[in-house]
Amino acid sequence: MLQILVQGLVLSGFYALIAVGFTLIFSVGRVLNLAYGSFLMLGGYIYYQGAQVVGLPKFPSLIIAGIAGAVFGMLVYRILVKRLSGNVVAVEIATLILAVVVQAAVVLVFSPSPKSMWPLVPGVLRIGDASVTYNIFIAAVVSWILLGGLFLFTGMTHMGRAIRAVSMDSKGAVISGIDPERVNILTWAISGTFGAIAGVFLATYTQLDPNMWVTPLIIAVAVVIVGGIGSILGSLVAAHIIGMLETITTSLIAAELRGVATMLIIIAVLLVAPKGLFGKSEL
Amino acid sequence: MNSTLRRGIYGWIAFAVVMVILPHVVGTGVTRSFVFAMYLAIFAVSWDIMSGRTGYISFGHPFLIGIGGYTTALLTYHLHWPLFLSIPTAVVITMIGGTLFFFPALRIRGTYFALVTLAFMELIYGLVQVIAPNVTGGTRGLSGLETIVTGAIPNYYLALVVLLVLGFTMWLVIRTHIGTALSAVGMDEDAVRASGINVTRLKLFAFMLSAFAAGLGGALYVHYLGSIAPRALFDVGFLFQILVACLLGGAGTISGPIAGAFFLTFLLEWLRPYFPGPERFLIYGAVALVLYVYQPNGLHELVRNGLKRLNQLKLSRNTS
Amino acid sequence: MLEAKDLSKSFGGLKALQQVTLRAEFGHSVGIIGPNGAGKTTLFNLLTGEIKADSGHVSLDGMSIDTEPIHERVKLGLARTYQVPRPFAEISVRENIRVSMMEDNLKYMLRVAWDDTGEQEIAESVGFTAQQLDQLPSELAMGDLRKLELARTLATNPKVLLLDEVFAGLTYGEIEHISNLLIERRKTHGTTYLIVSHDLKALQPLVDDVLVIHGGNVIKKGTFDEVVSDPQVQNAYLGTG
Repeated sequence: MLQILVQGLVLSGFYALIAVGFTLIFSVGRVLNLAYGSFLMLGGYIYYQGAQVVGLPKFPSLIIAGIAGAVFGMLVYRILVKRLSGNVVAVEIATLILAVVVQAAVVLVFSPSPKSMWPLVPGVLRIGDASVTYNIFIAAVVSWILLGGLFLFTGMTHMGRAIRAVSMDSKGAVISGIDPERVNILTWAISGTFGAIAGVFLATYTQLDPNMWVTPLIIAVAVVIVGGIGSILGSLVAAHIIGMLETITTSLIAAELRGVATMLIIIAVLLVAPKGLFGKSEL
Repeated sequence: MNSTLRRGIYGWIAFAVVMVILPHVVGTGVTRSFVFAMYLAIFAVSWDIMSGRTGYISFGHPFLIGIGGYTTALLTYHLHWPLFLSIPTAVVITMIGGTLFFFPALRIRGTYFALVTLAFMELIYGLVQVIAPNVTGGTRGLSGLETIVTGAIPNYYLALVVLLVLGFTMWLVIRTHIGTALSAVGMDEDAVRASGINVTRLKLFAFMLSAFAAGLGGALYVHYLGSIAPRALFDVGFLFQILVACLLGGAGTISGPIAGAFFLTFLLEWLRPYFPGPERFLIYGAVALVLYVYQPNGLHELVRNGLKRLNQLKLSRNTS
Repeated sequence: MLEAKDLSKSFGGLKALQQVTLRAEFGHSVGIIGPNGAGKTTLFNLLTGEIKADSGHVSLDGMSIDTEPIHERVKLGLARTYQVPRPFAEISVRENIRVSMMEDNLKYMLRVAWDDTGEQEIAESVGFTAQQLDQLPSELAMGDLRKLELARTLATNPKVLLLDEVFAGLTYGEIEHISNLLIERRKTHGTTYLIVSHDLKALQPLVDDVLVIHGGNVIKKGTFDEVVSDPQVQNAYLGTG
């Protein structure tokens, strides 16, 4: 029982990071970035390249992956999303195509075969009679640090408040002198960083392969649908619902059913409450 | 009005004539590529009738195609049903599966709808592997399925007949009042209701047509391949091909997605000698992306704009 | 005859409409006036079924239509225009009108539109020129969009027509044209109108009765002259009291 609780909490924290990176884009730019899974995949592969091929220490590799994620996020916004701005469906489809393109690029550079990653911190943490690997525990801690940082940033700094203003009312924000371009760029950079770092953890938790972008995208979509698109608080709550539910399904019923439970919640929530638990806007 | 319809019908006749002659001109390899292109075109047509005009973007079309494929595969493989029974049954089951798409469409649209249909696809992908893997073949799927005809050329003509009949029928359907009404649903569904039209019935009709085409295409496709596996069907890559064929060709036009399917298939074939390795898929995807970003309305729109400009040129020459 | 009894509707804590009752006989025309946010558009939405009333009943021709969905109400002869025109943006004026003219059955809808005399007639009656039939709504000015809105509604062949600010943004000439069209149609078809308008001058020749709504309540009913000379109305609405 405790095992499920601990495992579930840790997984949920990690899912929250995945989901917040995804929903941040929507809450500011009102578009869904279906290439978000690629942010995670790139983060994972760049970390792998740094730590396991070049041989850099782990922490700098993680930082490099985060920076690369930010750059990639900004490029996606500048090159693709901005050009299609105003056409929500076109952005979704273009980012979905981009995800497939990135997958092809990864196959080309790193080969299609899966790669296994060393844990960031080896070993197992025991809490009472429950145990989790240090690796996933660290992932949850880092997730919470990043989420806390985001919370402080949007609450305390001028730029952060500008992000909040745009997410609440983009026209009003423009009138009050906020440059929406800068806010968008910054949001995509943050989303890219969160995605890339989440990707490193995901890769150490599972494995690296060129298909790995689909699962986190579905997790992000699931969390965001259950929590309500664009709601950060909703994402946090929903990440825990989904993380817990997945842990319960995999440990009590069957490991293969992990995704199935998540899909069933998505479908149920969309049918019962299309706006999600904390949703403010419908697409 | 009549003249555009007539021109379109001439276009279909020309297409049919060229396609009938083609296998006698090109080699077996190209013929096989055409068979694949035609199945992709059938799936694209199916997508287009549901999503091209209505704004109910399906990200889960492989789900429908897969239902058709798995139904006939299981019926023939395990129960030894004859094809002339298993394929119609597969179509019916797919249409029942289509109602699963339809129920969410009563409440949600746009992105939400797209994501739910994607969830359906991932759900069935998970389920096929877990539930009764000894029946479905699990992750590895089933192979050694019965084939309808053998050889490249018979398969080519089989696919051609189905594509021509389905494609032309759907093309006619969207040129009736239904097509106009479906476009209107995509623009403002409530205003269509306020025009006195039962939108629910209209959508159901479009969804059932779409499911019919997906089920028939899916069933014939697995009997062409002789095998079925979850990752080959319920896959984002497969969805990508259908979606991109429609969007590059021009969603909502039926003829556009068919052209898109041929274009995509032959782009890949054309790249093969230059880029035999995996870089082919990168270039293929990048070309799709660039074309899409350049003209989200597709080739159809490019051709239409070109014709318009040509007409204006003629007009200005005549008046001057 | 359109009859609404005790219609009420709240949004959250806000009472948008409270116990509104109205009757409009066939061939009879009722103006509805009131300040912004008084509940006029909410009233229309309740009558057409776009939103569900918390309580109250609507009947058409003595038959309750409370459970009828929007499109069924339209087919029974209750149609509306929208305050902000809602044309189908990417299809031509002709096709916009066609959507309203279609019979609501699949057999009919599976026909190709060979001739467009019906669409042309309606388009011309509201004042479109023949060339405009091929234009997209995005190419039309506000006045033409209102005409399109009206044409689309007329194409459903309504017995009762709910007109929401049809005159806003029109020139005097256009107002007169539409006004004459409505008067003419009332004579020939016996159409009933419920007209929401801020333009009292345009309203005057069209209506038999006027209903004043303020804060979700009907505060006055009567002939046009009675209503506009009423001090309470002037106070609440015209602000000249």
